[in-house]
Amino acid sequence: MMQIDLIKKQRIILTILLLFITFTVIIGMGLGYSSLSYNRILPTLMGQGTFKETFVLFSIRLPRIIITLLAGMALALSGAILQGITRNDLADPGIIGINSGSGAAIAVFFLFFPVKAGAFVYFLPVVAFIGAFITACLIYAFSYKRNVGVQPIRLVLIGIGFSTALSGLMIVLISSAEREKVDFIAKWLAGNIWGADWPFIWAMLPWLAMLIPFSLYKANHLNMLGLSESVAIGVGISVEKERIILLLIAVALSASAVSVAGSIAFIGLMAPHIAKVLIGSRNQLFIPIAILIGGWLLLFADTIGRSLIQPDGIPAGIMVALIGAPYFIYLLLTKK
Amino acid sequence: MARLYTNNLNIGYSERLIVKSLSVEIPDKKITTIIGSNGCGKSTLLKAMTRIISHQSGTVVLDGKDISKENTKILAKKMAILPQTPESASGLTVSELVSYGRFPYQTGFGRLTKKDHEVIDWALSVTGTTEFRSRPVDALSGGQRQRVWIAMALAQETEIIFLDEPTTYLDMSHQLEVLELLQKLNLNEKRTIVMVLHDLNQAARFADYIIALKDGEIVKAGACEKVITPNILRQVFNIDALIGQDPRTRKPMCITYNLIKGETKNEENINTISTGMCVNY
Repeated sequence: MMQIDLIKKQRIILTILLLFITFTVIIGMGLGYSSLSYNRILPTLMGQGTFKETFVLFSIRLPRIIITLLAGMALALSGAILQGITRNDLADPGIIGINSGSGAAIAVFFLFFPVKAGAFVYFLPVVAFIGAFITACLIYAFSYKRNVGVQPIRLVLIGIGFSTALSGLMIVLISSAEREKVDFIAKWLAGNIWGADWPFIWAMLPWLAMLIPFSLYKANHLNMLGLSESVAIGVGISVEKERIILLLIAVALSASAVSVAGSIAFIGLMAPHIAKVLIGSRNQLFIPIAILIGGWLLLFADTIGRSLIQPDGIPAGIMVALIGAPYFIYLLLTKK
Repeated sequence: MARLYTNNLNIGYSERLIVKSLSVEIPDKKITTIIGSNGCGKSTLLKAMTRIISHQSGTVVLDGKDISKENTKILAKKMAILPQTPESASGLTVSELVSYGRFPYQTGFGRLTKKDHEVIDWALSVTGTTEFRSRPVDALSGGQRQRVWIAMALAQETEIIFLDEPTTYLDMSHQLEVLELLQKLNLNEKRTIVMVLHDLNQAARFADYIIALKDGEIVKAGACEKVITPNILRQVFNIDALIGQDPRTRKPMCITYNLIKGETKNEENINTISTGMCVNY
């Protein structure tokens, strides 16, 4: 019966994606400013590399690869959830003000604290996360209406409004800052993977380890919310409660991604969409695929981006946009 | 006393009530139809009875409990709703959509049990949709799609089924197909069916009990012979109706009707032109 066929298809797609990711990881380990030849990767991984090889692999390449994968996955899952609760295929973490919220928070933080090495770096993700979280709460509060609750379309419109206003605020703040600070913020906005260090990975891993299974657990609820409000209520969903829970998960996921990888658009839009085209819109089926596509897309974009121009490379956010913008236009054109 | 009834139900905002202190009982294991002109509050009443919208005061009682205080998942095992023109289910196949009707019985990750599959198969076959179970819902015609949505409501295995204008946008034969399916469910499976219908003759033909609404209040509720009368129709729709008997079903039917003079603007035409209709099909 077809149920089993679809699950089989899902398994095959997941396997192919895992192969893609493995392949990209291996290529990514060898690419970069300081060279590490491919036949030395395996010995180095086994602990038989020289000091330099070990340092390059374990302190530079691997953390970056892992954090990129994790951020991509988080963004994709966040986008999938948002598209479900807003019933809008064009929804993306950016629309609930995540990117601009954390951007504005970082800009404010920069104005009041000096740029210094050390603890400062570890503080930034926290700041970005708080900014994103406050913004999401505000958007939710503003789109809440007594008697009706939160209408998805209202949420989207208010989210876009907030996002635009905060971007404006950020530019005002940046224009009054010193040059050195402007450089950093500009890089952040372009989506530069800068949280490439083990502590960030350890900070992010628990989020994903918790939220991915939880989202799959909620997949059935997402299915119903994706239909229509009356249908969802009819089958016994507490629509308002589920929407808040899922929105919180989406915020937590994308805020954690944005806080280590900077402002990255399009992954949250593209990954779920491609996954839905591949397997249909049942959440249990497409969410795992979307997660892997998201991780792979960001890793792929960053791997190319950082090896194109030495030594700094092109920020992953820009590379993703180069792939994402045409896809977005294609989506708009084919959408009825 | 019936399982489902409303008590002094007020729906709307305090200044503008759409439904006003309405008390009605829904007879068990019967087909009940709500009729009335546009904006009379019939859909609103249906939505309030199914907790899709909240009401201002009064109660909707099912099995002795106020539904606004009852667990929504427990209610979903007792009543299913087919909303008016449900949004498209893009990206879903027919059997996936029908399987969504099993939600109230599922726990955790939502894996379908053997029992779930049996109910889904039954819902597909009784609605005659088994043949396109693996087709995308979007690729179906309006009539087929409506039957799939009914199948989803059936998969919920509830004793009460609400439908908001289930025949809208369907052609004559598909309308009849849907209504006959509902009648079959009522007769064979003893399901209670509550629906909003626009067509008076369909209401008279298929309903055991008719609730006629005007401005949010009940004009008359009772068996169709008591409701489909010139006097009631005058009050509800402001029409002068000629009521006869359907030669095939022996049910009352509106053969022709005119707007009542003095209440509309183009009154000169009214006596000469009456609205003809297909009398039976």
